[in-house]
Amino acid sequence: MLEARNVTFGYDAKPIVKDINLTIKPGGITVLIGPSGTGKTTLLRCLALLEQPQSGEICIDDACYRYPWVPGQAFTPPWPKLTTVFQQLFLWPHLTLRENILLPVKLQNKADNDHQLDALIEAFDMQDFIDRYPNEASLGQRQRVALARALMLKPSYLLLDEITSALDVEQIAKILSYLKQLRGQNIGIFIITHLLGFARHAADQVVFMADGGIGESGGPDILKTPKTERLFQFLSVIAAAS
Amino acid sequence: MTVLDILINYHIAFLQGLSVTLKLCAVIWSAGLVGGVMLGIVGANFPKSWGRFTHGMSFAFSAIPTLVVLFWLHYPAQAVFNVVIDPFYTAALTLTLVNTFGVGEFVRQAVADFPQQYIVAGRVSGMNMRDIVRYIQLPILFRQLLPSLLVLQVGMLHATLFASLISVEELFRVAQRINSTIYRPIEIYTALALFFLVVCLPINLLAAWLKKRYTRDFSER
Repeated sequence: MLEARNVTFGYDAKPIVKDINLTIKPGGITVLIGPSGTGKTTLLRCLALLEQPQSGEICIDDACYRYPWVPGQAFTPPWPKLTTVFQQLFLWPHLTLRENILLPVKLQNKADNDHQLDALIEAFDMQDFIDRYPNEASLGQRQRVALARALMLKPSYLLLDEITSALDVEQIAKILSYLKQLRGQNIGIFIITHLLGFARHAADQVVFMADGGIGESGGPDILKTPKTERLFQFLSVIAAAS
Repeated sequence: MTVLDILINYHIAFLQGLSVTLKLCAVIWSAGLVGGVMLGIVGANFPKSWGRFTHGMSFAFSAIPTLVVLFWLHYPAQAVFNVVIDPFYTAALTLTLVNTFGVGEFVRQAVADFPQQYIVAGRVSGMNMRDIVRYIQLPILFRQLLPSLLVLQVGMLHATLFASLISVEELFRVAQRINSTIYRPIEIYTALALFFLVVCLPINLLAAWLKKRYTRDFSER
């Protein structure tokens, strides 16, 4: 279980993420929605232990990280048991897309890389560009590679930040259906997305974030019958825009 | 007397001059590259102390003409400290300092400005810092720095000509002495130009090719 307890993070005195309590279960999909600039990516970075919150606790199964962090305190990295795909992707520019996927997994000495990579290449339609460099691929192609790089590591928890923003409808459908399959492998997925349709059909838990805090959370039915005015407004704006 | 005749007749003198030039280059290039890379890495890791020092010295050396530094170290400095140092060592020291701080500043900037997202991607992929440095940081920095460093080393080879002005018997001084004997400036300086063209042009072309080959659009369009 990936758990955030009373997590608060900010720069100087201004909190960006306020007193967040959140649980991501293995084999479950948690979808985080909310307006831009509300702290969604910052929360993801806190959960990935890439930021040090001012207060609170983050537990990844049996390992708990308490904040504020004391300098010099022993830190056991949770990666790649917990891994992340960022909105900006961060593919290494000197390696081909294939090498980008294989480098971390080779260093982890995980067996059967080639078979797993072949399956991902097929699942994500990457045959035509897998040996190109990142600057020779489109954003949509790079998004698929970044996701494949994370999946190759067989994580227990996968945090995804807007990874379908540059994909066409067909690719989105393929990737989201693949993510649904990951539930069977007991992987806990946390995904920031604006795709409410995916949240309705695939999420086990939907979390609505507003002004740095959790505005509302629950099952996908909160998208049909929101309890808070703020979520109702957000859904109305999205419905009007689409 | 043709260029070839001059080269044949004075080949011993030219080879001696070339030998001194190459020795100077060996010192300047090796010490400058090793020292500069170390200084740059230390400067990037300790930006408030060593970083400022490297940056400041690099600024100073780029502002003061190399010839002035060379003359200052050869004449007034030696007079002040009442020592006599072989001009070869004075030239080697001056040009090594210039090269060290030039290389150091290139390396410091490249390391300090290295995109942190590539390191973060390595961390969340379970790579330890040693592997991140080995497989991500060093290859990217190497590709980024190599063309600039090669061009700088060509510049340092050119700068060895200044050593002739403090009586170092390097290639240019040998050419001048031969010219004062036979007065064939066109042939002699053409030969000299051809020498530098043969040595420097391939290095410059290599630098340009490496830049074209390895420079990628990091912005990820």
